[in-house]
Amino acid sequence: MKRYDLIVVGAGPSGLSAAIEAARCGMSVAVFDENAKPGGQLFKQIHKFFGSKEHQAKIRGFKIGETLLAEADEAGVEVFLNATVAGIYLDKEVLVQIGAAMEHFKADTIIIATGAAENMITFDGWTLPGVIGAGAAQTMMNLYGIKPGQRVLMLGSGNVGLVVSFQLMQAGCEVVALVDAAPKVGGYGVHAAKIARCGVPFYLSHTITKAEGSDCVSGVEISQVDEDFIPIPGTQKHFDVDTICLAVGLSPMSQLLKMAGCNMVDDPRRGGQVPQVDENGETSIPGLFAAGDVSGIEEASSAMIKGRMSGLAAAAYLGFLNEQDKDNRLADLEVALDSLHQGMFAPGSKGKTFAKTDEGIAVSQSLLKKGYLDDADIERFIHRPDQTIKNSGIHPVIECTQNIPCNPCQDACTRGCIKVGKTITALPRIDAANSCTGCGMCIASCSGQAIFLVDEDYAPGYASITLPYEFLPRPQKGELGTALSRSGQPLGHAEIIDVRNAKAFDQTTLVTIKVPVEQAMTARFYQPKTNAAGQSGKKEIRQ
Amino acid sequence: MNRISEHPILGETEKGQLVTFFMDDKMMEGYAGEPIAVALKAAGLMVHRYTHKAHEPRGIFCAIGRCTDCVMIVDGVPNIRTCITPLVAGMKVQTQDGVTALEVNK
Ligand SMILES: Cc1cc2nc3c(=O)[nH]c(=O)nc-3n(C[C@H](O)[C@H](O)[C@H](O)COP(=O)(O)OP(=O)(O)OC[C@H]3O[C@@H](n4cnc5c(N)ncnc54)[C@H](O)[C@@H]3O)c2cc1C
Ligand code: SF4
Ligand code: SF4
Ligand code: FES
Repeated sequence: MKRYDLIVVGAGPSGLSAAIEAARCGMSVAVFDENAKPGGQLFKQIHKFFGSKEHQAKIRGFKIGETLLAEADEAGVEVFLNATVAGIYLDKEVLVQIGAAMEHFKADTIIIATGAAENMITFDGWTLPGVIGAGAAQTMMNLYGIKPGQRVLMLGSGNVGLVVSFQLMQAGCEVVALVDAAPKVGGYGVHAAKIARCGVPFYLSHTITKAEGSDCVSGVEISQVDEDFIPIPGTQKHFDVDTICLAVGLSPMSQLLKMAGCNMVDDPRRGGQVPQVDENGETSIPGLFAAGDVSGIEEASSAMIKGRMSGLAAAAYLGFLNEQDKDNRLADLEVALDSLHQGMFAPGSKGKTFAKTDEGIAVSQSLLKKGYLDDADIERFIHRPDQTIKNSGIHPVIECTQNIPCNPCQDACTRGCIKVGKTITALPRIDAANSCTGCGMCIASCSGQAIFLVDEDYAPGYASITLPYEFLPRPQKGELGTALSRSGQPLGHAEIIDVRNAKAFDQTTLVTIKVPVEQAMTARFYQPKTNAAGQSGKKEIRQ
Repeated sequence: MNRISEHPILGETEKGQLVTFFMDDKMMEGYAGEPIAVALKAAGLMVHRYTHKAHEPRGIFCAIGRCTDCVMIVDGVPNIRTCITPLVAGMKVQTQDGVTALEVNK
């Protein structure tokens, strides 16, 4: 039987991070993952991450995955693929199915980082082919280059539902609606705004009542729900779709921990049945740790930090790291983790509603109900007391209105035009004392695509607006299309006057449109004549 | 038409060699090494199997090998999860009906 100092189950962001830290301390480490490729969920995530520099903010998930793999390799971690851990026994022995063979491995410490499984809900017709999980959609389009469908309805407005909806449009699918039984959008407002401006309608307080079709999905019926989430008769709406995508939450895959005999607790805030753990992820069994989604649903950024913490704790447990070094390094990681655990979406804020931001500004109800900021919100947030904003010459406009742990915009602007400050959940603030060069780095670095450059003096009667664009085909200079509002409504003709692609922009194209000056604060997206965002071209310009 | 030929972030998807395989009584094309389910999806096929008792259709649901909705008969072996089984040239894939192959009207 093969022996290691540490066995890690799961090669996702937390498992790999744990393995890297432990191996760097000199431990022999084996990682088992059931998939043919390592990386867990990271390789399906193609958007730029939130957080700050230490959390690898503004880097796309799959790139972070590539870095982790290279680091694991360099540290000498052995990764076993197509290797499912089927059992875990006393004395830290695991049973692994590798291909068709069953093998036993033993270690002195074990870290369980098996991640989470998607939740499901049932409705009439939910088993029909064409009803899929959001994870399945991500796997198909981002790993295998195949569209999950042509016309999709998304159920779930958490970050997964919002992010996957955007990715579906990037893959060339049409998203006909975003539906959630909750009365407000669950995920980040900036993610919601990205899809709302493409014209996707939001149906909050609605749920799916029927998937239609005989051999596969041909349509879907949704209904409004009352406060008890019961569908209200007579409120049905129908959509022609070939795909229904479910993004209704994740549950920790904690079976192995239970099997090992760890003390388990039911904690709805952490996503269900989770092990009792200390601050470094150690369970009630000494030397057995849990890290990442398996011990509480969060996101990849915190999963990586928690993985590192349990890797270090495991090293200290076996004497590969002295107590003092352990304490110092854990203290740094705790600070990094703590900064992610602040703000309106922090694990501790689950279920709370916020009437005002930390700055004392009333939150946008429109963003929570429809996915976009309305005119009054813009007025309130743009012309807030702590911010001066120009209305001539090129200047940034930031439409990021919730306290989320994120600050790449501040790092992006070397001119000092954008300030977040020490508390990374503070709203970014524009400092008009410093002049903007129009370089566009802030737009490309913003994980939420919430920054625009506006120039009211572009030409007599016309303003220019520079916006982030991540669809194909990339617009061409001189092209004529339609300017869309924050809700995706056509405002009128827009001419493309500049298109910028740079390596530093990392696949985000900066598109500059020319619109009548009255639209300087309302036009926020561009729709080409041939529809790139995959949304149906039924929006006629009414002028 | 289901294949994403070019992606704004990921560029072109890397593909194995284009090969042919059999789906019930039809010949189909796919890329070697991709999951069988992906090749079938590219061809627009939705139903992978029918349940034993109620004869209800099932297709891809989780795409990561967990739910068993996508199982089919592959080279004569039933219950193969097509979403995680790589396509090989000349494979014989059949719609599963309960635990046997679906009768295909010739
Ligand atoms: C659909 C979806 C979309 C998401 N989108 C985002 C996002 O946009 N941004 C973000 O920050 N977070 C996102 N998340 C959350 C983020 O992916 C997770 O928080 C993060 O991946 C957790 O990392 P992990 O290492 O704990 O688990 P995972 O990344 O899930 O990795 C666990 C690994 O363990 C393997 N495994 C499980 N059981 C076994 C076993 N018995 N034997 C062997 N291997 C096993 C799994 O197959 C998997 O590879 C998303 C999650 C999902 C499901
Ligand atoms: S465009 Fe450049 S100079 Fe202007 S705010 Fe953005 S990063 Fe700063
Ligand atoms: S504006 Fe700044 S804080 Fe807000 S999402 Fe963009 S980068 Fe993050
Ligand atoms: S789709 Fe779930 S196992 Fe294949």
